[in-house]
Amino acid sequence: MVDLKIGIEELNTCVQCGLCLPHCPTFRITGEEAMSPRGRIRLMQEIQMNDRPITKEAVDSFDTCIQCRGCEPACPSGVPYGSLIEQTKSTLVEKKYLLPKWQQIPFFFLTRPRLLRFFTRLLVVAKKIHLLPNRFAMPENIPIWDKPLRESGNDVYLFTGCVMDAWQRETHRSSKRVLEHLGFGVTPTGDRIPCCGALHDHAGLMQSAKDISQKVIRSLSENELPILVDSAGCGAALKEYGHLLGTDEANRFSARVFDIHEWVAEHLDVLQSPAKLPISVIVQDPCHLRHVQESHEAVRLVLEPFVETLIDLNDDGLCCGAGGAFSLFQPALASQARERKVAGIRAQSHDVVASANPGCMLHLQQVGVNIKHPMEIIDEALSRGIQI
Amino acid sequence: MSFLDRFKKAIGRTTSQDPFVADLIEALSAERVHFDATQRFLHSHDASVFDEGNAGPVCFPITTQEVQEIMQIAQQYSRPVVARGAGTGLAGGAIPLGEPAVIAMTKMNKILEIDIDNRVAWVEPGVINLDLSIHLQQYGYHFAPDPSSQQVCTIGGNVANNSGGPHCLAYGVTDAHVLALEVILPDGEMAVIGGLEPEPEGLDLRGAFIGSEGTLGITTKIGVRITKTPPDVRTLLLSFSSMRDAAQTVSAVIAAGIVPAAMEVMDQRITNAVESFVGAGYPIDAAAVLLVEVEGLIDGTEIEASHIREIGFKHGATNIRVADSEQERELLWKGRKTAFGAIAQIAPDYYLHDTVVPRSSLADVLEKIDEVAERYELIVMNVFHAGDGNLHPLLLFDAREEGMLEKVHAAGAEIMRISLDAGGVLSGEHGIGIEKQAYMNELFTDEDLNHQNRLRYAFDPDCRSNPGKVLPAGHSCADIQALKKVPEGIWG
Amino acid sequence: MGVVDHKNPDPVLNDFAYEVGPTQPIAIAGNRTCWELSGTLNSGTTVISAPSGIVDYRPEEMIVTVRAGTTIKDLDECLAVHKQRTSLPDRGGTVGGAIAVGHNDLQRLGKGSVRDAVLRLRYISSEGQIITCGGPVVKNVTGFNLHKLMVGSFGTIGLIAEATLRTNPIPPAQSWVKTMIDPKLVFDKLLRPSAILWDGQTTWVHLEGHLPDITAQKKTLGKFGTLDEVAHGPELPANRWSLPPADLYQLDTSDIGNFVASIGVGTVWADLPQKKGPPDKGKLIIENRLKQQFDPENRLSPGRKVGNWS
Repeated sequence: MVDLKIGIEELNTCVQCGLCLPHCPTFRITGEEAMSPRGRIRLMQEIQMNDRPITKEAVDSFDTCIQCRGCEPACPSGVPYGSLIEQTKSTLVEKKYLLPKWQQIPFFFLTRPRLLRFFTRLLVVAKKIHLLPNRFAMPENIPIWDKPLRESGNDVYLFTGCVMDAWQRETHRSSKRVLEHLGFGVTPTGDRIPCCGALHDHAGLMQSAKDISQKVIRSLSENELPILVDSAGCGAALKEYGHLLGTDEANRFSARVFDIHEWVAEHLDVLQSPAKLPISVIVQDPCHLRHVQESHEAVRLVLEPFVETLIDLNDDGLCCGAGGAFSLFQPALASQARERKVAGIRAQSHDVVASANPGCMLHLQQVGVNIKHPMEIIDEALSRGIQI
Repeated sequence: MSFLDRFKKAIGRTTSQDPFVADLIEALSAERVHFDATQRFLHSHDASVFDEGNAGPVCFPITTQEVQEIMQIAQQYSRPVVARGAGTGLAGGAIPLGEPAVIAMTKMNKILEIDIDNRVAWVEPGVINLDLSIHLQQYGYHFAPDPSSQQVCTIGGNVANNSGGPHCLAYGVTDAHVLALEVILPDGEMAVIGGLEPEPEGLDLRGAFIGSEGTLGITTKIGVRITKTPPDVRTLLLSFSSMRDAAQTVSAVIAAGIVPAAMEVMDQRITNAVESFVGAGYPIDAAAVLLVEVEGLIDGTEIEASHIREIGFKHGATNIRVADSEQERELLWKGRKTAFGAIAQIAPDYYLHDTVVPRSSLADVLEKIDEVAERYELIVMNVFHAGDGNLHPLLLFDAREEGMLEKVHAAGAEIMRISLDAGGVLSGEHGIGIEKQAYMNELFTDEDLNHQNRLRYAFDPDCRSNPGKVLPAGHSCADIQALKKVPEGIWG
Repeated sequence: MGVVDHKNPDPVLNDFAYEVGPTQPIAIAGNRTCWELSGTLNSGTTVISAPSGIVDYRPEEMIVTVRAGTTIKDLDECLAVHKQRTSLPDRGGTVGGAIAVGHNDLQRLGKGSVRDAVLRLRYISSEGQIITCGGPVVKNVTGFNLHKLMVGSFGTIGLIAEATLRTNPIPPAQSWVKTMIDPKLVFDKLLRPSAILWDGQTTWVHLEGHLPDITAQKKTLGKFGTLDEVAHGPELPANRWSLPPADLYQLDTSDIGNFVASIGVGTVWADLPQKKGPPDKGKLIIENRLKQQFDPENRLSPGRKVGNWS
C-alpha cells in the first residue's frame, strides 16, 4: 500500500462532477476516463484512502497527464490539480513506479549549462546527419557557436533558463531589445541561474526541483529587481516557488516574478502610435500562461498595437501537447494533441502564430507551423523604424 | 483484428480467461477493450453519490458496426450491457450493475453532417452538447437543450436522459429536438426510428426511446433539430429580499402570458459560492436572485423585458440589472451553470436533488424543504429552473461523519414526498436511474408500472440493456436474471 | 396546500373503463374527422365515445387536463378566456382524436407539435384498466415515455381517456400575408414564422408575436418582393403527405397533383395520396412486439394499421 502523501482535504474537494473533462487534452483525444483529471483524481483518492494497489494502468493514467492544468480554471470546486499530480508523480518516482534512473539523465544536464550547450552541439550535428528520430523537437537553426547575452543595465532581470538559452537564444535577444526600447536596462540571468526546475517538478523529481528553486532564490536575492520571464513554463514555475517551498522568502521571491508580457503591457504607454506590421497573427495561449499564470490577455494587449489583426483560437486554450518533456515521453499523445491544435490553426487564415512558450514553439514548428514568440514579432515591428 | 493483436495472440499473450472478453477484443481491438481492475473501477460509477457498481469489460467502439457486434456478442453470452457517455449523470443511470460490458461512446464523437435545409444536424452520440452548438454558430444556429453540464455531457447521454436545461422553458427538452435515431437493439438488430418527416409512419418509437436511460438499446447516430439563434437576447438579474418574492415573481411572469427563454433562481448561499468562483457581480446580500432571459426580435424582447421589470418590482424586487454585454451575459450564465460544482468550497459532499412541482407551489414547497433540512441538521441550498418548477435542492454534508449518508437519504426521501404531495413528479431532468426507483410506486400504480415494463420488454425481451434501472424491483422483467453475478474470479 | 393524489383519477374514468371492459373488440369514435385514415375497423367492433369535459385548468401553470371526448373547439374557448391555446389542431374533432391521430396544426412552426403538448395521458388498456403515463407538470423524466407512444397510435395500443396538455399564451398579434417571394428565402429570413405555405407559385406567411416584431418581419420580407395582407391562408387539398422539409422545394406535380406545402415543416396537402415506402426492418420488429405486449388479443381498434403489424 502506497501513501501518495496528498492531503485528504485537497482530494476531497473533487466532487467528480466531470466539468474538467473537455478541458483535458488527453481526454479530448482518447475519450477515456483514465485519461481525464476526474479519473486520475478518482484513482488518487482510491490509492490514498482505500489502499487500492497501484497497477500498471494506474501508473499509465498518471503518466499520460501533460500537466497543462487546463482543468484547474474549469473546476468550480477549485481542486488544486497541479499540486495533486505533481505530488503523485513525485511519490511514484520515489517508489520506482515511474522514471527509472536512466530516464533521469537528461534532467542532470538542465542545471549544467556548459554541458547542455556541448550536447546541444552534438545534437545539432546528429540531427543534420539524421541520427535523431524525427519526433525529437529541436530548432533547425541553432548556431554551433553563439555569444552570451550581455548585460545592458540594472532595471530588470531577464530570466534565460536552460534549454531555451541553449536553443532559442534569439528569442531572448528580441525580448531584451524590446525591454531596452521601453527604456529598461536588462540583466540576463545567463549561466548564473541555469534552470528553474519546472521540468524536474513535472517529471516527479520534486526534491531536485526544490533544491534548484532554493538556489535560484539565493542567487537573485541580492537585490529586489523584478524578474521578467519570456518562457511561460519557467514563469509559472518561478511564480509557484512560494507554493513549492512554502517559505516567506519563496513567497516574496515569487511576487517579484512577471511574465514579460505583463511587464511590457504595463509600460506600453511610452510608445506613441506605432505603425502596425501588415500581418494577421493567431495567438496561441501556452497552458502555463493561461491556466497557471492567467496572464494570457497580456499577450494580446502587447501585440495589438503592432500587428494588423489578432485572431483567437476557439478552443478554450486546449493544450497543444508539448508539455515540457511530455512530447518526448508520450510522443503519440503529444502528436494527437498537436493535430487538433494545428487543425484549428489551419482553419484560420493567418501569417504567423504567436506563442509565448519555447516548448509550444518547438512542438508546433515541427509540423511546419510558422510560429514566433510575441517578443520576436514586436522586436521586428520596432526594428522597422516604428516610432517610439 | 490488428496485426499487433494477432501477434500478441500468437505469442500467447491473450488477455483474459473470459471468452466474452476475447470475442470483444476480436471485434474491436485490444486497445479499445479494457478489462483490468483499474479501468473497470473507473467505469463503475458516474457523477452521482451512489455506491459504485461493478463494471465488466469496458469497450470503446468507433463505428455503428462495432456497437452492433458488441451487442451480438453480449447476446450470445447472455451478458448485460451499459452504455455510457461522459459519466455526468446524477441519478446513477450509468452505474453498471451485474458486471455488464460497459460501452463507452466517447470515441464516437463526430459531427457527421449539418443539413440547413432540413434544419437537422447528424451527430454521433459521443459529441459533446456544447461542441455542437459552438460548431453551429457559423451557420447562425444552435442546439437548444443546454443542460448545466453541457460543456461536457454528450448528446447520446442527453437522448438517454431526455435532458433539459435552463433554456428548455421556451424551447422544450431534448425530446422536442431529436428528429431521428439510429439505434442498436439489445439483440444486435438495427432500427431507424423517427425521421425528418413531421409525422413519420407508425408508432412514435423515437418518443419512447428518448429518456429510457439506456434500457431500450444504444443509439449510434442522432439527427437533432437545429434552432435559429435569435438576433436579440436580454438577460435580467433580479434581486429579492425573500425567496417567496422571487418564486411569486416567476408565477406572475408566466401568468402575464410571457414565456421567457429561461427563468432560474438561486438562493443566497449558492449565489455566494458561485460569485466567488466566477466574479460575475451576483449580489451576495440578496436572499434570492432570479435570472430571466428573453430572446427574439429586438422590439419584442424590449417589450417583454420591461414587462418583467414591472412585474419584478411589483413583487418586491430590490434591484434589477440588465446584462450590458455578451461577456456579462456569458459570465452570469457561467455562474449559474457551474453552481453545483462550486459547492465543494462549502462542504466535501453534496446530494443534488431533482424534483418538479407546479410553479405556483414553489414558495410553499421551498419552505417545507427548509424545514426538513433544519430537522435533519443539514445545510440546504437551492438553485433551480424556476420557470418550469424544476427544483434542485442541494444537501451539503461530509460523508465521513458517522450516519450522515442515512440522514441525507432520509431527508431526500421527505423532499420527494413533499414534491409529490404538491402535485409534482420525481424527476425533471436527472432521470430515475437507481436513485428513485423505489419511489416510482408513489407516482404510479402497479398497472402503470407494468405497462412501462411492457414497453421495455418490446425493445429488450431479455432485459440485458442497463439492467436494474428505472423500474422498481418486482416490476422489471428479467432484470433479476440479468443481474446474476458472473462467476467469481473470472478477471482474477 | 392540499395533497395531490396521483393514483386516484377522476371517477368518470372508472365508468369509462368499465364500459371498455376486458373482452370485446372495441374502438373510440370522436367526431370521426379522420375516421378512415388508418384503415377500416373490423366489423363487429363496438364503437363508444370517450367522456368529455375539462377536469382541471390552471392558466398560471400553463396546464390543462381534459377528458378525451371534449371537442377542441370547447377546449379552445375555455383557454381563450385566459389568452391561451394548445398545439392541437381544431378540425372539428375531439382532444382524444387529435392525439390518437397525431397530426399537427397548420401553424406547426408557431404552435408546436401535438406530441410535444402531451404531458400526461390516461388510457384504458386492453385489459380494461386505467393506465397513467407521463406527469402533470411541464417538465418530467419520471419513467418511460409511454404517452409519446400513444400520440399517433390511432387507438391501437390503448384507448385515450384523459389528457394533460401544455398550454401556451396566444401571441398578442397575428397576420397573414401573400407574396410571390421564393418560400425558401422567406423561411431563411424570418425568425419564428408561425406558418409558411406554398402552392408552387404563391407563398402565404402567417406571422405571430408582438406587433412591432411582425411589422419588422414584414419589412425584412418587403425587401425581396411585395406583400399583400390576406384574411387567411389558402384552401388545402385533401390528402396529407409527410416529407423531409428540404424535399418540398422540388415536388413533382405528376406524383402529387395540386398541392400546398408547409415550408420548414414537411407537411404537404395534395390532390393525390402519398405512396408509402417500405418500413424499416428493426422498427417493424419493435412495433409488432409492442402490439403483442399492449394488445395481445388485437381487440383495440382492430383493423386499423398504424405500426406495420397485420
